[in-house]
Amino acid sequence: MRVRIRGWNGVASWLWVANDENCGICRMAFNGCCPDCKVPGDDCPLVWGQCSHCFHMHCILKWLHAQQVQQHCPMCRQEWKFRE
Amino acid sequence: LEVLRSYDLHTIVEEWFMEVLQTDLQANIGPEFWNCIQQYENTAEEQQCSLLLLDAFCLLKRRLDPYLNSLELLERWTKAGLLLGTGAQMLQEKVYTMFKAILFFSTTQSFQQMIQQFYSRTFRIYMRQWKKGEDVMNECESSMSENEQESDTEEGGGESPLCAGCSSKREECWCPKAMEQFQQLNDILRRLNLLERVSAEAVTTILHRMIEERMEQRCRGEYERSFLNEFQEWIEKVIGWLSRVFLQDSPSARCTPEANSTLKRWRCHVQRFFYRIYASMRIEELFSIIRDFPESKPAVEDLKFCLERTNQRQQLLSSLKSALEMRLLHPGVNTSDIITLYISAIKALRELDPSMVILEVACEPIRKYLRTREDTVRQIVAGLTGDAEGSGDLANELSKADPVTLENGQESDDDIADPEDWVPDPVDADPEQSWRRSSDIISLLVSIYGSKDLFINEYRTLLADRLLHQFNYSAEREIRNVELLKLRFGEAQMHYCEVMLKDMADSRRINANIRDEEEKLPEEERPPFSLVAVILSSEFWPPLKEEKLELPEQIKEAMEAYSKKYEKLKAMRTLNWKYHLGLVNLDVELADRTLSLSVSPVHAAIILHFQTKSTWTLTELSDVLKVPVTSLKRKMTLWLQQGVLREDPQGTFTVIEEEQKDQLEKVVLIDSDEEGDSAMASQADQKEEELQLFWTYIQAMLTNLESLSLERIHSMLKMFVMTGPVVTEIDIQELQGFLQKKVRDQQLIYSGGVYRLPKNCS
Repeated sequence: MRVRIRGWNGVASWLWVANDENCGICRMAFNGCCPDCKVPGDDCPLVWGQCSHCFHMHCILKWLHAQQVQQHCPMCRQEWKFRE
Repeated sequence: LEVLRSYDLHTIVEEWFMEVLQTDLQANIGPEFWNCIQQYENTAEEQQCSLLLLDAFCLLKRRLDPYLNSLELLERWTKAGLLLGTGAQMLQEKVYTMFKAILFFSTTQSFQQMIQQFYSRTFRIYMRQWKKGEDVMNECESSMSENEQESDTEEGGGESPLCAGCSSKREECWCPKAMEQFQQLNDILRRLNLLERVSAEAVTTILHRMIEERMEQRCRGEYERSFLNEFQEWIEKVIGWLSRVFLQDSPSARCTPEANSTLKRWRCHVQRFFYRIYASMRIEELFSIIRDFPESKPAVEDLKFCLERTNQRQQLLSSLKSALEMRLLHPGVNTSDIITLYISAIKALRELDPSMVILEVACEPIRKYLRTREDTVRQIVAGLTGDAEGSGDLANELSKADPVTLENGQESDDDIADPEDWVPDPVDADPEQSWRRSSDIISLLVSIYGSKDLFINEYRTLLADRLLHQFNYSAEREIRNVELLKLRFGEAQMHYCEVMLKDMADSRRINANIRDEEEKLPEEERPPFSLVAVILSSEFWPPLKEEKLELPEQIKEAMEAYSKKYEKLKAMRTLNWKYHLGLVNLDVELADRTLSLSVSPVHAAIILHFQTKSTWTLTELSDVLKVPVTSLKRKMTLWLQQGVLREDPQGTFTVIEEEQKDQLEKVVLIDSDEEGDSAMASQADQKEEELQLFWTYIQAMLTNLESLSLERIHSMLKMFVMTGPVVTEIDIQELQGFLQKKVRDQQLIYSGGVYRLPKNCS
């Protein structure tokens, strides 16, 4: 007997490769989106800092805008630098 | 008389007259009359009866005539001023009262029966004559209304040898005679002023009976046309007969105001009676009327008309309520049928009572009952999306233009309607709910549960199910449905569903991307089969059923390759495969035949394993696939059914390479595997998940406090857990069930009314 697969329709869910489940700023799931967004994924991406913490991009940008003097990571208080 | 007057004795005259009359009445006339009547009981023949009746009254009249004459004389004297008197009118009234009092103080039953018989006979004859006239006219007009005629002849028994009027043989018909007697009797009674006393009751009974009879014949079970006009005409005929009873036949008498008022009173009475009877009948039948609604509209309108004139709302409410409870709200009725009936009730009662109060009050039991059915939401949602077999009512309702948004449903009445048009609520309205009474079917259905969330969630599950079963990536119909629902429920509520649909579109794009890339590869590096995926945003889909399944190596490799490509496409993101979900198209090539099938991944995995080894036992398979034996066994049935595998001996499966024609095919019981096919976790599973959250707390509690009663656990959970950001409610019964399950699983010990953790656990 031989079985030939003509097509396999699979189901998968995507997820961010991150070290945490929730965004430290908005407390929403990374796999969801920040409170201002409606659609997750491409439209509400994550960004990582050099301190290895990550956040919703929209969240961390808002945070950085609010910081007057020096820009820190809200989690570890190190200077915030985007990781390339 | 002058002499008497001079002696101031003229007052005595009156008294003397009265006394003589009274004694005579008591002693002679009364018994004589009743004797006459008594004879009846011995005569069986109706014709004789009525003759006797007439005779008796004639006698009575003859006896009383002298008195009446002297009464007139007295009256004249009074007028002439010869007597002071208490006034002529008074005297006359006194005399008549005495007649009534003495003669008819107590009427025997048989007498009343006679009177009734007499009148009903004449009534029938009268109606018959009337109809004859009509028939002649009808014939002239040729058979325009054949139906009408037919029913007439039926009623009248035109073919039968009996006369319709007097129901005796045609040749012996005594209709005209009866009518004559009728006329005479009426005259006598009128003369004696006894008409009201003697016949009113009989006439009323007859009329009531006739109306009821006719209605029973004509209208019962017939909802598709209006009967009001027909009966109006009929009532006019009846009034004609009444005028024969109560008025002299002479045309001059008809126009006197007194006569008019009597007639008016009677007409009023008959009409009111008719409305009441008709309304009662329709109320009794309201359930069926609602069931047939769009067709039974005339009946609803009739009922509305009658209800405005009678005071029967209360009766309607209670009767409808009990009819609903008896015929609809029991376990034998499908939920979808209840919903369908509720929808037609909404439509029908909206017609009947625009204030919607009847609907609200009478249908409360339906709403209450629907709340107890588990599949109500599912049925309604299925109806909304046009999935339900049977009625597309709800789907039509949904696509209706200008829907009422549920969000703005609370707007006050003031800005909808002109204040001039405001009508107070009927008295039976529930004052607490008067603020919002919508007639919109969907909002009514949705409000059964008081919240939209349940419906949205159910819809989401339904949508997810459908998307994951169909695997067509452009779901136009779903998109349309979501758009329509968005109009109803508001943008925010449907947001999740929108993301789900977007996922489908995105997946299609990604699949296309990946396929393009594959095509650039050299031949040998291309994957052996095409793998496409639906990629979900897990946060926005309802929780998926988790099942363990280990796929064969080649499939897993393909999936990993797909994941790699995805990761390249979307930086920092990866895929989490749901192995057990999906749809596989495959060809099974056997020695003598090839089968093309679309199966679930589990089925595919099973058959793929049979490629390497043609005989497997259930336990071996269960080991490789990581699927529990029981559910695996169920899955095997598909291949047994397809004749690809055979089970021999029990628990061992072998490929049938060559079909044996002579061997009768083994009938495999079709295990309804499909019903459990929903990809979504069931409500119960979801609840379980929620309860799992409590379990950690309970474990911690019991570790610290050793043993606790059910109530303590519940109150502590309430204190700590149910106040958190994720509010999950649990009632004490649910908790008990949950804990008992844990006891059964030996994760908990229950003794002496307290729960405790088993020793080895802590």
